[in-house]
Amino acid sequence: MATPVSVLRLPKGPDPNSRGFDPSSPRFIALCRTSIPTSAGADTEQLLEEQHARSVLRERFLRCLLAMSNKKVHFRMHEKVNVEATFGASDIDVLNFQVSDLHTPIGVQKEALIRCHDVISLTFEV
Amino acid sequence: MQCGWLQSGPQLWLSCVHRQVMVKAQGEEHRGWLLTVDPVSRSVVLLDLRAEGASVRVVMGHAVEHVEVLQEADQETLERIRSFFVPQETLSLDPEELQRRRSGVCGWLQKNLVPVEEDGNELRVAGVLTIRAPYGAEDCSSSNQIILDRIQRLIQAQPDPRPEPDPGQSGITSIH
Repeated sequence: MATPVSVLRLPKGPDPNSRGFDPSSPRFIALCRTSIPTSAGADTEQLLEEQHARSVLRERFLRCLLAMSNKKVHFRMHEKVNVEATFGASDIDVLNFQVSDLHTPIGVQKEALIRCHDVISLTFEV
Repeated sequence: MQCGWLQSGPQLWLSCVHRQVMVKAQGEEHRGWLLTVDPVSRSVVLLDLRAEGASVRVVMGHAVEHVEVLQEADQETLERIRSFFVPQETLSLDPEELQRRRSGVCGWLQKNLVPVEEDGNELRVAGVLTIRAPYGAEDCSSSNQIILDRIQRLIQAQPDPRPEPDPGQSGITSIH
């Protein structure tokens, strides 16, 4: 069983927050739209229908996230990187995942934050 | 059947739920029963049913390139999909049991000096929190997070007053 590696401190980039998490950075704003705008316009009935559909879908998604918590999850990321971790939580906009015991090629990270934009898909057993 | 997935909205996604879909994302192809599509991140959640268990795959919204609806689910598959969302202890409790639970929770909260009253089949706490059947910590709903947290902790801390219903499973053994 791999021993946890100590937390890596990567060198700082040109910006103070160049690691991609800063919500006011241009990269973040360009890549991470926080929600999908409505297409219903001024039509109230269509708006109500759309809101209902949104809330049903979102509730189901949140239940999926709940079902994932504390389970082993396999992440498929870019450049054919596949890692495994214990799922902790997601933030409200599904931009970052908090995980524990992240098994990476260089060792086990006890706690980690994964950017959702780096993840292509994730799987877990029910 | 192809749909303009990336351009469409929540109404179309809701209509495609419980159907088998094929998702193409960054060189990968996945098939599964569509559980939901997150309206915030457009992530597609697929259920992969196997003979002995199931796995769920979430394809992140930004990676989805193409989605195609393949087929409808038959009744058996539909049941299996639905069972994924239904919580463990479902509405299999009879009204008497529910009444007993309701009174039990009500009494426990009152004992802890929480203002609670019975409102039909629900419990109302301080006029801001509602507890539905079967009156567990997960059945509380409120717009006030602090009260919600407090009441949930209180319910979880409630000692179980009921003796074992099945005498054969009683933990008490008598030594003759």
